[in-house]
Amino acid sequence: MKLKNLVALSMTGLMVAGMALPVAAEEAKAGDVNGDGKVVVGYISKNLVDPFHVPINDAAEEQLQAMVDDGIIDEFTGILDGNTDGAKQCDLAQDCLNMGADYVIILPAEAVASDPAVTALVDAGTKVVVVNSKTDSTDDLALTYCGSDDVYAGELMADYVMEKVPDGGVYVHCQGVIGNSAQIQRGEGILNKLDAEKWELAADVPCDWAADKAVNAAQDYMAQYGDDLKAIICDNDDMSSAAQQTCNEAGREDIVCIGVDGNQGPLAMVKAGTLGATVLQDGVGQVTAGIDAIKADIAGETVEKEYVVPFVLVTSENVDEYLQ
Amino acid sequence: MASNNKKKILGMDQDQFNMFMGKYGIGIILIGMVIIIAIMKPMFIKPGNLLNIFTQISINGLIAYGMCLAITTGGIDLTVGAQLALVSCILGQLVGVKGMSLIPACIIAVVVAGLFGFLNGVLISKFDMFPFVVTLSMQLIVRSIAQIISNGQAVSMADPAFKAIYSSKFGPIPRPIVYLAIVVIIMYIVMHWTRFGRYVYAVGGNVNAAIASGVSVFWTKTLCYTISGVLAGLAGIIFTAKTGSAQSNIGVGYETDAVAACVLGGTSFAGGISTAPGVLLGAIIIGCIYNGMNFLQVNSYYQSLAKGVVIIGAVLLDMVMNKKNR
Amino acid sequence: MAENYILECSGISKAFGGTQALKDVQLHIRPGEVHALLGENGAGKSTLMKIIIGLYRQDEGSITWNGKPYQANGPVDAINQGISMIHQELNPEPHLTIAETIFLKRESTVGKFFLNKKEQNKRAEEVLKKFDFPFAPTTLMKELTLAQVQMIEIIKAVSCDAKLIIMDEPTSSLDSEETEHLFRTIRDLKSKGVAIIYISHRMEEIFEICDRVSVFRDGTYVSSRDMDGVTRDELVSMMVGRTVKNIFPKVDCKIGEPVFRVEGLSGKGFHDISFEVRAGEILGLSGLVGSGRSETMRAIFGLDPLTSGKMYLDGKEIKIKKPRDAIKNGICMVNEDRKGYGLCLQRSIRENISLPNLPEKQSGLLLNQKREIKECGDAAKMLTVKCASIEHTGLSLSGGNQQKVVLAKWLMANPKVLILDEPTRGVDVGAKSDIHTLMCQFAAKGMAVIMISSELPEVMGMSDRILIYHEGTLNGEIQRSEILSEAVTQKHILEKEFGGK
Repeated sequence: MKLKNLVALSMTGLMVAGMALPVAAEEAKAGDVNGDGKVVVGYISKNLVDPFHVPINDAAEEQLQAMVDDGIIDEFTGILDGNTDGAKQCDLAQDCLNMGADYVIILPAEAVASDPAVTALVDAGTKVVVVNSKTDSTDDLALTYCGSDDVYAGELMADYVMEKVPDGGVYVHCQGVIGNSAQIQRGEGILNKLDAEKWELAADVPCDWAADKAVNAAQDYMAQYGDDLKAIICDNDDMSSAAQQTCNEAGREDIVCIGVDGNQGPLAMVKAGTLGATVLQDGVGQVTAGIDAIKADIAGETVEKEYVVPFVLVTSENVDEYLQ
Repeated sequence: MASNNKKKILGMDQDQFNMFMGKYGIGIILIGMVIIIAIMKPMFIKPGNLLNIFTQISINGLIAYGMCLAITTGGIDLTVGAQLALVSCILGQLVGVKGMSLIPACIIAVVVAGLFGFLNGVLISKFDMFPFVVTLSMQLIVRSIAQIISNGQAVSMADPAFKAIYSSKFGPIPRPIVYLAIVVIIMYIVMHWTRFGRYVYAVGGNVNAAIASGVSVFWTKTLCYTISGVLAGLAGIIFTAKTGSAQSNIGVGYETDAVAACVLGGTSFAGGISTAPGVLLGAIIIGCIYNGMNFLQVNSYYQSLAKGVVIIGAVLLDMVMNKKNR
Repeated sequence: MAENYILECSGISKAFGGTQALKDVQLHIRPGEVHALLGENGAGKSTLMKIIIGLYRQDEGSITWNGKPYQANGPVDAINQGISMIHQELNPEPHLTIAETIFLKRESTVGKFFLNKKEQNKRAEEVLKKFDFPFAPTTLMKELTLAQVQMIEIIKAVSCDAKLIIMDEPTSSLDSEETEHLFRTIRDLKSKGVAIIYISHRMEEIFEICDRVSVFRDGTYVSSRDMDGVTRDELVSMMVGRTVKNIFPKVDCKIGEPVFRVEGLSGKGFHDISFEVRAGEILGLSGLVGSGRSETMRAIFGLDPLTSGKMYLDGKEIKIKKPRDAIKNGICMVNEDRKGYGLCLQRSIRENISLPNLPEKQSGLLLNQKREIKECGDAAKMLTVKCASIEHTGLSLSGGNQQKVVLAKWLMANPKVLILDEPTRGVDVGAKSDIHTLMCQFAAKGMAVIMISSELPEVMGMSDRILIYHEGTLNGEIQRSEILSEAVTQKHILEKEFGGK
């Protein structure tokens, strides 16, 4: 009997819910791209766990909530977890569409694999703001791209290393998750600038962006190359700061470790003088630029195709500007 | 279906009712979940979104059926996530780099995935190694091979014909749903209507009794892991078509959702118990959790928590029901 | 007369579920005596011992130990009170040293937590010296032979100040020299005033080492006697006792040609076994547990390997390496371990019945479920399996009905030779009788039935012919006519089981 009621109730519930579906838009509203009467902004994060992405997500949430409070938009989807997985981001794009999103901010996990998310959203008439790194069709389809040039970051690192160790030597490259566009492009930048005659690559070590693996690499190659090891260049500064710490503890403060991102931990080390430098990627600046672009579009202003937020080499001289 | 059930319930005594709940309890949980989410966010049950959920679960669904066979024999297959990456990289090299045509490339990729599954099965059943250890090691090996053949590089698979595998539709139905439906039907038949299926349940339920009944444990287990490999291979093709990118870092942790779907669907880790519809329901529930949580704008930090709680809750319910059955 | 007993058990009863394992039994042990405990399989000896060392608790009755009421909460408590048991199956921890084994759970310590290995080894060395045991206390257990492990167990018991040591079949895995050594130790213990309860099936040993004997039968106490002035014959009659009328539904049916023959089979636990069985015949295998009956049948069915010997089916030699081969040849076996080898309990009755018979139930690639449901339903009905539906799981059935499901699955395979190992063990009376009737029906259909049973009345009541096992070999063959004419009685069979001629 109980079950019978339950089934009946569930059917009724479904029917009522079905009837309550929003029917059509009464009037076109500024920014209501899909015409359902509401302005909804979606936010597909790259992930929720990287130290680099946490402040970006927090800043985005704060600013989008402020837009809701100010009545500029009606709703935003919350911070959706992309889980550093292109396929997952494609799913989330569908979810955004079904939630009636008019604008979607996406921080792609992959250049290629996340692209279907962008194309699917654009195909459905949604305006897409790509932040942090590009997908393949970003230039053609997105409302705008707000990010930085990863190749340039790699070049900055190479320049710094060559400046610190003019004579060259052996260096190790700690990679991010292999196949990741940031990993590929930063590596490309390093090779662009680093003087191949003076610098010998000991190994490209796949470290999956993880500090602990960079520590292992630092230990291994210090043991193997001894004093010949002059630099450890990392695809992010979680890894470089951890590697530097390992070197320092082994009495090898001379080894130059550098990475990209400008997370708070490495910045504190720069301030304390235990880390020479790090390359800051202004993630909050990127996402802020993206949100500003949406505000501009809603207000009917023109939006640039691309906003480049520059990388900055942070050393003890300018660290105070970025350390919170 | 609802009206059908009603008649039966009226005629059921407690025993039958418990059996019914044991069989369909998970479906009731699903309906409950859908109702709650739908009441809070009516958009959730728009047909578009429902199709969307089914499309999204297609990859996990395929993997889950292989996983289900492995778990039913008393094992587990942790290789599947890495198999996705391997298949993706094989496709990338054959199609993206060498320019081979699609169908032979897909067949090769699936055969390779099947071979690794076969290897799992042989190691487990011939040498009596623990499935957890074997498939965990194989996961590392397979992912490494994927990285080796792709050289760590992502290969774009932008060919519209290839991407159509995921994105085009049969009428209103997205293709992945069709693939999933076909696999569900085939697996239903294999698990419940064939000799092999019976042997799987017997080997999982009581391996000595199975041997004493003349069942070949070797072939039964090996075939289970081979099928798991093949299904992971097919899922890998869909995955690659979905993202249009062949790369070695995909599918990390996908075994977790597959195991979760199996467990939710009433697959017993003790072996010998599972149903084909149960696994599908389990996969749908996982899909609804992901999608529904987003709709409810649950903070993403809490989503894994919710998933964990739902799985433990469902299994607990199952345990209580089964205890009553005894 | 107030005799001086160290252990007095009186009026002990114990039931497991519906089975009365012990009924008002007594056992009185004097200090410093070696007391034999004798009885058939299932007479209740082990149950009583387990009560004494606290593994079970008696339903009724009392135990007095050293003149005081006694109750042990498990073996450790029993040891603390001075009673140790040396089990038949020794399970040494291979990676412990001798000293660690002897002082397990009462280690020498510094303070409360830290082991004092030096002190412990020294103590162990002293104890070992007392027994002239030629190994260092730091020797690992895995380096010892079974006899030595047993010795360590005895040393351990003595070092715990045991006043009573129970030995369950202590010589079962010892050779004659080792046995002699054990006997010397026993005499030595005796002289130190330690009482010993000696359980054995070997008459010679009992006559050699024991002072008194108590005989159990079917969970009851028969009597106690001094070994002086009791004969082997008397003991066997005490063990058999009752004369059981034929309560078995045995139907004599036409016995046909020989179907299955084995020659010189050897394997683990049996050697040089030869016999044949005919169509329509029920061949009973009798013998003590561990005498090689089940082992032979398991090997024939392909569950265990054969080391030598040949098998012939319908005159043609067959090779069986795994159960699949046996089934293909029409040889099926109902295992004594029903839960282990019989059923997948969590699967349905239908699936269990059809498991070995699936090839016949295929149409094309798929199973013909309609036919399967009908045939399994018919089989279940024919074997009077009591179940609400054949879709219920094996778990929902009683032991007897589970056994019928196992029989049903093999019946459907339509075997030429059906091996039944303890087919009625743990089965209630009604189902037991059903199973006996079914056996006769199988035989009537022309099957050759081989039945192993530890219950002598069952073997005698059901078999056309009985083969008697003794320590891995055949020790005699008895025809049904001899039983019917009472030329052969239970006593004869039991004597043969104990190695007599």
